[in-house]
Amino acid sequence: MLNTPKLNLMQELIAGSSREELIWLSGYLAGVVAAQGHPAAAAGQVLAQIASAAAPVAESAATPSINKITIAYGTETGNSKKLASDFAAKAKKKGINAKLVGLETYRLNDLPKEEYFFTVISTQGDGEPPAAAKKFYDHIHQNGLKLEKLKYGVLALGDTSYPLFCKAGEDVDQQLQKAGGQRIASLEKCDTDYESQAVGWFDHILQQLGTSTGPSAAPNGASVIAKPTGKKIYTGTVVANINLNDRGSSKQTHHLEIVAEEVDYQPGDSLGLVPENPALMVETVLGLTGVDADRKITIRQEEHKIGHLLRKKLNIVYLPERVVKKYAAIVQQDIPETRIGLLDLLKIYPVRDAAQFHEVMAILEPTAPRLYSISSSPEAHGGEIHLTVAKDKFAVNGEIKHGLCSDQLSLLAPDQTFEFYIHKNSQFRLPAPEKDVIMIGPGTGVAPFRSFLAQRDSTGASGRNWLFFGDQHFTTDFLYQTELQNWLQTGVLTKLNTAFSRDQAEKVYVQHKMLRESAELFRWLEAGAYVYVCGAKEPMSVDVDVALLHIIQKEGKKPLAQAEAYLDELKESGRYVKDVY
Amino acid sequence: MSDNKNLSPVERIKQKSDALRGTLQESLQNETTGAIADDDTALVKFHGMYMQDDRDRREERAEKKLERLFSFMVRLRVPGGFFTPEQWIATHHVAGENTTGVIKITTRQTIQLHGILRNKIKPTLKSFSQVHLDSIAACGDVNRNVTCAAHPSESELHAEVHAYAARISKLLLPKTRAFYEIWLDEEKLTDKKEEEDPLYQDRYLPRKFKVGIGIPPNNDLDVFTNDLALIAIIEKGKLIGFNVAIGGGLGATHGNAETYPRLASIIGFVPADDEKLFKTIYEIVTIQRDYGNRSDRKLARLKYTVDKYGTDWYKTELAKRTGFALGDPRPYVFTDRKDHYGWQQNHKGLWYYTPFIENGRILDDEKLALKTALLEIAQTGKANFRFTCNQNLILADILEKDKAAIQQLLEKYKIIEHTDAASAIRKNAIACVALPTCPLALAEAQRYLPDLIGKIETILVKHELTPENIIIRMTGCPNGCGRPYAAEIGFVGTSPGHYNMHLAGDHEGTRLNRIYKENLDETAILKELDLLFWLYKKERITGETFGDFALRQKYYKA
Ligand code: SRM
Ligand SMILES: Cc1cc2nc3c(=O)[nH]c(=O)nc-3n(C[C@H](O)[C@H](O)[C@H](O)COP(=O)(O)OP(=O)(O)OC[C@H]3O[C@@H](n4cnc5c(N)ncnc54)[C@H](O)[C@@H]3O)c2cc1C
Ligand SMILES: Cc1cc2nc3c(=O)[nH]c(=O)nc-3n(C[C@H](O)[C@H](O)[C@H](O)COP(=O)(O)O)c2cc1C
Ligand code: SF4
Repeated sequence: MLNTPKLNLMQELIAGSSREELIWLSGYLAGVVAAQGHPAAAAGQVLAQIASAAAPVAESAATPSINKITIAYGTETGNSKKLASDFAAKAKKKGINAKLVGLETYRLNDLPKEEYFFTVISTQGDGEPPAAAKKFYDHIHQNGLKLEKLKYGVLALGDTSYPLFCKAGEDVDQQLQKAGGQRIASLEKCDTDYESQAVGWFDHILQQLGTSTGPSAAPNGASVIAKPTGKKIYTGTVVANINLNDRGSSKQTHHLEIVAEEVDYQPGDSLGLVPENPALMVETVLGLTGVDADRKITIRQEEHKIGHLLRKKLNIVYLPERVVKKYAAIVQQDIPETRIGLLDLLKIYPVRDAAQFHEVMAILEPTAPRLYSISSSPEAHGGEIHLTVAKDKFAVNGEIKHGLCSDQLSLLAPDQTFEFYIHKNSQFRLPAPEKDVIMIGPGTGVAPFRSFLAQRDSTGASGRNWLFFGDQHFTTDFLYQTELQNWLQTGVLTKLNTAFSRDQAEKVYVQHKMLRESAELFRWLEAGAYVYVCGAKEPMSVDVDVALLHIIQKEGKKPLAQAEAYLDELKESGRYVKDVY
Repeated sequence: MSDNKNLSPVERIKQKSDALRGTLQESLQNETTGAIADDDTALVKFHGMYMQDDRDRREERAEKKLERLFSFMVRLRVPGGFFTPEQWIATHHVAGENTTGVIKITTRQTIQLHGILRNKIKPTLKSFSQVHLDSIAACGDVNRNVTCAAHPSESELHAEVHAYAARISKLLLPKTRAFYEIWLDEEKLTDKKEEEDPLYQDRYLPRKFKVGIGIPPNNDLDVFTNDLALIAIIEKGKLIGFNVAIGGGLGATHGNAETYPRLASIIGFVPADDEKLFKTIYEIVTIQRDYGNRSDRKLARLKYTVDKYGTDWYKTELAKRTGFALGDPRPYVFTDRKDHYGWQQNHKGLWYYTPFIENGRILDDEKLALKTALLEIAQTGKANFRFTCNQNLILADILEKDKAAIQQLLEKYKIIEHTDAASAIRKNAIACVALPTCPLALAEAQRYLPDLIGKIETILVKHELTPENIIIRMTGCPNGCGRPYAAEIGFVGTSPGHYNMHLAGDHEGTRLNRIYKENLDETAILKELDLLFWLYKKERITGETFGDFALRQKYYKA
């Protein structure tokens, strides 16, 4: 039917596409055909064979035009929200009444009543849903949930450099189906350059809902098919590396100054990088297994030398349970399902031979990127990126060890270079210049706030700034003390409260200082202040939550329920945001 | 009266300080710095403390974006330098918990603790107050710690004379309750009348004021370096009164000819009649309060007031205020100026042991567990502690029956060995604190003098002068805290590694030395001394001290 060049084109296209992409493609073409008024089935079948997944197509082709849909998003750093809002806008233009809602505030008992329900959700942590979507995520995981009426589609945001790509999205997609929901658009998994792919997915949905997006869809659609190009990688050169903690401190927090060409970032963004595995560890692994470091193998459609993979790509330092489990299956031994390093595994439960180790290579996961809040400001530190890296220290049966990435960063000397990318966080942004800002950032949590303050200083923002900082000891652990003092003097910082936990008998933390300032703090809230929290997710950010609730109750003379509503309102209006880890 | 046209900034701070309270309470609460407000740094001195920072750590901390390592030095008020064993034990523990751990005996017979972080000040002062110790007026523009000849075996009347130190200290103590309120959480005064202060009023003195009491024939305390020097006159075994001398003081400033060290001038005699004695002392202070220079702190000490108005004027003004004239000074002689190392016995048969403590620094190091030794001795409860103005201490008032126990501990910790091993010049030497804590230091002193002396010792050996009791003193700047101008050989820091060399002081502390050569580094110093000692050995008259020899040979700049 097709002439050779077209056929080649198509075969090439098919070869280069993932199963999901093919499924989408079939649906998409069906839509196009439908729009052109030809029988959709024909085109549908052709592609159905290729994609061996006709189901969605059949459904989609049949769907009648409707007028009310819900678009729910679960986001950590704002990407999903941004997309969801674009979709909603688009749908409205098409005359569809689209309801946009964040999963954190979504009323769960509305779910069974939903007819068209589209979810845009990212994956966080190690395959987890964003904190804001946790309630929803758990809800749909309970069995006995019945959602027969539901017609749904899931757009998953993720990052292929993480072991569990788009896991949260996958889970949501599956659960909704389990609950009896009807998938009217196949799960779309996007890497960090999700834009065009996502738009294509949604246009496709709009078509399915019987409203054509017109020819403009074509270029749009075409670009989707191009294989994700991955995120922009920069090369940074270290110009300074200072341990901010003084002698006698139990901590080591490194202030790194890095220069890189035209890096596009804003205060609130973080820098991401993938740490290498220690050379010695890799050599030992090679020695123990007898595999040839230069032998090439293909993993995730990419061919690499084993040595390279072990050194730069794969996580061997500290394997997750799931990998340990797979390892046990390969070497056919029962191994306790706890996290452990590959080296220890090989020592205790050796592989039979090099061949068996090749099997093991296949189950190893990519080393997850590490993120570090950027502590510089594009305005104030032009051309430079600063990080505030705490050397992660922990004991494994008595022996002191250091975290892989933070250790490597802490050892970087001036002129050394490393590759990184920028992880944007559109949730964690300074408000309008005249707005007041309350920043709670103990330990390395201070990093983005140094960026905020420097930015507000050099842009002359008129809003007031209040920082709560804390650490162990005043004399040794007061990160950026002199800079903060200068900002106090020049008035950039309106207030600075510190909590040093170990300088007195009883432990004192930032939340205690907040409570001590409760009246003033509530006055700031009432005056429209924005609250930012950065640092340890637990226990810090949880304690801060509790403290804020308490303050709102006490100073606002509100019962708990109202105080919670007040706090939720802050969250929804983007006036209470966290970047915690 | 003193011209109050352009008062120095400190004068204003004192006057608007609400009886030395200032904003200290607020300063203590400041969460962003370990320092206190600028004005408060002047006030905290009146409470016996100095804000300092570790100068060795400045650069490194700056790079780490950390402020200077601020801490506080506490100086206790210990009239006549007397401690009970309990007070020593308490001090030992406080030092261990809140400070650098080193207990420093000062040239004014008291102790200092360094490196106290701001939030440790209150706990420190509270533990001290539990053993009836305070730091009130140990610094600041008030009367400082009253010193007195230290060794009870000097005279049968030592106890009687020594008692005056505490009484004069009390007489001249500021009345404000600020110290108790701020540091010991005492209730705020409702009625401010309770702390009205006719002596200091709201302006205190133009400058620090120092009182010392000497008991001839040993001038161990350098009595003439005090603003007010009292010399006990003892006739036929009775204390009949005191010769009164005023205007002593050693502070000077490089390149400021208007400033100079000065020994006190004797202006008369006052009988051992308490009312007259205290009236005299009190009014000498009020005259300085009213006439002292309050616009230039460098010229504000009593010595400059005396030289401005003359001793005769001062005597008349004093008589006006006391209602009686001083008598003619009585004869007395000072024949020496030293600590009596080793065991001594007084007239009552009580025993005294003076160990050698280099520059008054008490700590445990690899060579000597001095601090532990003293703690154990204190714990026996069998010895009091008396500090000397040569930065030493005396284990004092030990009963015959307890001597053995103390002896045994001294041996156990090799204190006796250590003391006997120290050479004469080492035992006679004094060095001030200087770096790293003293903000005024231009050069090292207590951290450096011990090495230098080691090198000087070899030169003495070479010239067979080892037994000579030559008095060497070093300070890190011209302020004179180690009384270098009253030494036979004085080293006064000018810049890192460089010192002015002063010669020709006497052995008894009744004559100041004079500058011999300027800005010498170590090599130059040793070269000079090699030559001088060679000449001394060769050309000295029998019995002639090095200081007298240098004077006779005119080894000083004209
Ligand atoms: C600890 C001590 C030296 C020692 O190693 O023992 C000492 C240490 C300091 N003296 Fe002194 N003076 C000490 C005895 C002296 C003496 C000797 C004496 O009084 O017998 C003098 C010379 C006599 C005199 O007062 O003139 C002395 C004259 C000064 C001066 C110059 C005063 C003047 O009139 O010019 C200063 C600077 C000032 O006051 O501005 C000073 C200031 C200081 C300060 C507080 C520096 C400062 O003002 O910030 C030093 C603290 C250093 C530290 O880190 O501990 N110190 N100071 C002595 C403590 C005595 C006490 O317990 O009260
Ligand atoms: C948005 C975001 C912003 C962040 N910002 C900052 C920042 O500004 N500054 C900063 O310092 N950090 C920041 N972090 C944390 C940072 O990304 C890293 O998580 C942190 O540095 C630890 O990584 P690592 O490779 O050094 O440690 P890892 O090697 O990943 O180890 C982490 C933990 O795993 C366990 N572990 C690892 N190996 C073993 C083993 N062999 N045996 C037993 N247990 C083991 C230990 O508990 C260890 O503490 C941020 C994180 C996020 C998500
Ligand atoms: C701490 C952290 C952990 C992440 N873990 C995963 C993961 O396990 N799997 C994945 O596919 N993507 C992961 N990502 C990538 C995000 O899902 C991706 O950046 C996405 O665009 C974020 O969208 P959002 O801004 O809506 O949260 C992670 C990102 C961060 C910051
Ligand atoms: S003499 Fe100078 S350097 Fe020495 S302690 Fe006194 S002020 Fe400091």
